[in-house]
Amino acid sequence: MSIIQAKGVKKWFGDFQALKGISMEIAEGEVLVICGPSGSGKSTFIRCINRLEQHQEGEIVVDGTELTNDLKNIETIRAEVGMVFQSFNLFPHLTVMQNITLAPIWVRKKSRSDSEEKAMELLNRVGIPEQADKFPGQLSGGQQQRVAIARALAMDPKIMLFDEPTSALDPEMIKEVLDAMKELAKSGMTMIVVTHEMGFAKEVADRVMLFDEGMMVEENTPVEFFDNPKNDRTKLFLSQIL
Amino acid sequence: MVDVIKKNAKAVQESLFSSVGSSVLTIGTSYLVLNFFRGMFGFVMSSDKDWLAVLNNMQLYMVQAYPESDFIRVWISVGLTFVFSGISIGLWRSDDRSNISVMFDRFYKLGLGVLFFTIVAPTFTSYMGNDGSVITEEVFSRSSRIGMLIPVLVITVGFFLLKNRKINFSFNNSDAVFLYLSIPIALIWIIELPTIQLDQNKDRIIPDPLMPIANTTKVPWTVIFVLFLLSYFIGIYFKEVKRLKNIMSISWFLLPLLIFSWIFKKPQIEMAEVLTGDIPIFLIFFAVGLGTVLLINNPIVKKYYSIYIGVVIVATIAGVFISIPMLAKACLLLLGLFVTVVPAVSTSQQGKKSLIIIWAVALVTLTFLLRGGASETGIVVPGSSIFGGFSLTWLLAIFGTYVSFPLGVLLALGRNSKLPIVRIICTGIIELVRSVPYITWLFFASVTLAVFLPAGVEFNLIVRVLMVTAFFSGAYFAENIRGGLQSIPKGQYEAADAIGMSPFQKIGLIVLPQALRAVIPTLVSSAITAFKDSSLVTIIGLFDFLTIGKTVIDNQSVPVNFVGHQRENLIFVAVVYWIFTFTLSRRSMKIEKRLGLGER
Repeated sequence: MSIIQAKGVKKWFGDFQALKGISMEIAEGEVLVICGPSGSGKSTFIRCINRLEQHQEGEIVVDGTELTNDLKNIETIRAEVGMVFQSFNLFPHLTVMQNITLAPIWVRKKSRSDSEEKAMELLNRVGIPEQADKFPGQLSGGQQQRVAIARALAMDPKIMLFDEPTSALDPEMIKEVLDAMKELAKSGMTMIVVTHEMGFAKEVADRVMLFDEGMMVEENTPVEFFDNPKNDRTKLFLSQIL
Repeated sequence: MVDVIKKNAKAVQESLFSSVGSSVLTIGTSYLVLNFFRGMFGFVMSSDKDWLAVLNNMQLYMVQAYPESDFIRVWISVGLTFVFSGISIGLWRSDDRSNISVMFDRFYKLGLGVLFFTIVAPTFTSYMGNDGSVITEEVFSRSSRIGMLIPVLVITVGFFLLKNRKINFSFNNSDAVFLYLSIPIALIWIIELPTIQLDQNKDRIIPDPLMPIANTTKVPWTVIFVLFLLSYFIGIYFKEVKRLKNIMSISWFLLPLLIFSWIFKKPQIEMAEVLTGDIPIFLIFFAVGLGTVLLINNPIVKKYYSIYIGVVIVATIAGVFISIPMLAKACLLLLGLFVTVVPAVSTSQQGKKSLIIIWAVALVTLTFLLRGGASETGIVVPGSSIFGGFSLTWLLAIFGTYVSFPLGVLLALGRNSKLPIVRIICTGIIELVRSVPYITWLFFASVTLAVFLPAGVEFNLIVRVLMVTAFFSGAYFAENIRGGLQSIPKGQYEAADAIGMSPFQKIGLIVLPQALRAVIPTLVSSAITAFKDSSLVTIIGLFDFLTIGKTVIDNQSVPVNFVGHQRENLIFVAVVYWIFTFTLSRRSMKIEKRLGLGER
C-alpha cells in the first residue's frame, strides 16, 4: 500500500510552470532520493506534499487523504508529515528543548514531562543531548539541522521530507547530519530526500529520481541510476556533479 | 597604588584625549557640563528660590483635589500595586547573581561623582533682585564644602578599597532592588526639610523646628515598603508553583479595573446584603461550574450536554426580564460562556484544574466589580475631575499602554491579515487615527464623542479621554508591531506550518514573540511618548501633572503666597518626568538584553 500517491501534479508560479505533470508513488518504509539541477521543481514538489505550496492540477493523496483546497484540517496531515528545511528554520526565541517539545505539547496535546522525555531521547538519537538548554543561535549549522530533524521526529510522523538538508552546511558538518538521516532510514522511516549527496543516495536510497525542468526524467534503483542510467540527461547530470 | 593610578590615567588618555579632535571635544563638553551644573546649583541653592513652593503643593501634585478623607483608597491602591509587583518579582525572580564588588564599584563611582561636583560647585551665585540690581550671595560656604568633602572622601576611599579586595560574596540581582529601595525609605525618615507654618495672623513664618521630608507620608510609604518586601518573599516561596504565575498574569489585567472603580466609587458594603446575596450566589454558581467540569466526561452528562447549554442560555435570557439580583444575571451570562468552552478545554486533567481556577477568579472579580459598580455614591470632587496631577498622568500613561498595546497587536495582525474586510477595516482605523493630531482627538473626546454615543449613555470625561488615548497610541503601536511582523522570515511561518500548528498557535507562539522582541526599542519609545503626551490633556481642562505645576501658583490661597516661584515648580515637574522616562528606558534596555539571548 503506497502512503503517498501523486498523479499528474502540475504547478505554475505566474506564467512559469514549475511542475509539468509529476506522477509517482511511494510505499511505506521506502527511502526516495530526488535529485536534479536547481530550478527543476524538486523542492516545489516535496513542498506540495505537505501543502506548503498548492498544486493547481492533478492529485496528491497522503496517507489516504487527498490534498485539495477545501481541506479543512490541513494541520492533521502536516502533523503526520515531518519536514526538514535547507535553512533549518529553528525558532530562535526558544531553546533547543522548547523547539522540540513545542509541537507535541500544543498540537498533540501531550503533557510537558512526556514530551521532554521524548525530546531527550531524540536528542540522544541525533547525538546532541548536551545542547538541550541552548538557543539555536549558539549551535553550529550541523547541530541546528540535527535539532530540526529531532523537532520533526517529535511528532512521530509517518513520512519525513528533507528539502536539501545539507546544502547550507560546511563540508565537515554534512557528515553528522547524513549519519543522523542514515540511522533514521535504517529504522524504517518513509523518507523523501531532495539532495545532491550522491553517496547518501547510493547507500540508503531504495529508489532515485531525477527531475529536470519540472518533469521526472528518470526513476531507477540506485545501482542502475549510477552505473547504468537510461536517460542522456541523467548521464549529463551525473557527469557534472560526480 | 601607583600602578592603579597609572593604569587609570592611561585609560583616561586613551578614551578622552586620543587625538586633537577628541581632546577639543572633551574639553568643550566638560566646559559646557561644568557651567550647566554650576548654574543649576546656584539656581537651586540661592535664597531667591523658594522650594517650599513645591513641597507645600505636593498633595495637589499627586492627587489634585481628591478628598482627603478618602486618601486611604489611594494608599490602598498604591499598596496593592506594590504588593502585586512584589509577588511578581518574587515569582519571576531571575537567578542572575552579581559579585558584591559590582555594588561597591557602583557606590565608589557615585562617591567619585559627588566628590567631583562638590569640588566644582560654585561658592557664590548671583541673581536679579526685585529692583533689577544684581545680588550676589554665598550659597556654598568653605566650611560646608569641607564638611561635605571629608565624609564623602572617606566613604569613597572605603568603597574603593572594598571593591579591590576581591570579596567572594555574590547577591541576587532581584534582591538588590530592595536593598537600593531601602535607601530612599531610610532617607525620608532622616532628611529633614522645612514645611510651611502659619502664625496666628495667618502670616507665613519660617518653620522651626525642621520637619522630616514627607512628614505625612513617611508612615504609609514605610508600611508599603514592608508589604512590598513581604510579598516578595511570598513570591519567592511559591516560585515553583506554575499555576500561580498564570493567576498573577491574569490578576495584573484585573488590578487596574479594581483600582479604577475603587478610586471612583465608594462601595456600599452592607454586611447583610453580602451575606444573603453575594456569597450564596457566588457559591451556587461556583458549585454549578465545578460540577460541570467534574462531570463532563460522564456519558449521561455528555449525551444531554447540548440541552444543558440550551437551558443555561434560556435562563440567561429570562434573567434579563425577571427581577433577580444584578450579580445573578451577570453570573448567568458568564456561566453561558463557560459551559460552551468547557468541553473543548477539559480534555486533560490539567485543563480541568485551570478551568476551575479561572471560574473562581472570574466569579470573585465579577462580584467585586458589581459591588463597587452598583454603588450609587461616587467620590465627589468639587469642580474638577477625580483624577488630577500625577494620578492622572500615571493613569493616562498606564492605561495608554495597557489597553492600546493589545489593541495595537490586534490592529497590526489585522492589517497583515489575508481576509480583505479585516485588512481594510484595520488599515482604515490606523490611518484615520494617525492622520489626525492627538489634540484634535482630545477635543473630539470632550465635545463630540457624546453625539456618537446612543442616547442616555454617558461617560465621564476621563473615560472618554482614555478611549481616544487607547486608540491613538494603539494605532502607533500597531505600526511599530507591523514592522516587527515584517521582519520575521518566511521560513518561520513554514516551519510552524510544517509541524502542524494552527494559525492561532503560529501567531501566538512563533510570530508574535519574535516580532515583539524585534521592536522593543520602538515600543518603549512609543510608550515614553504616550507618557509625555498625556500632558496635552490640559487643553480640554484636565489637570495633569504639568498643568498643576504651571497653575498652582495662581491658585494659592492668600496666606501661603508663592507668587513668583513658578520656575521651581516647572523644574520639579521636569525632574519627575525625567526620572520616570529614564527608568523606563533603562528597564527596556535590560529586558532587551535578557530576551536577545537566543538571537546572538
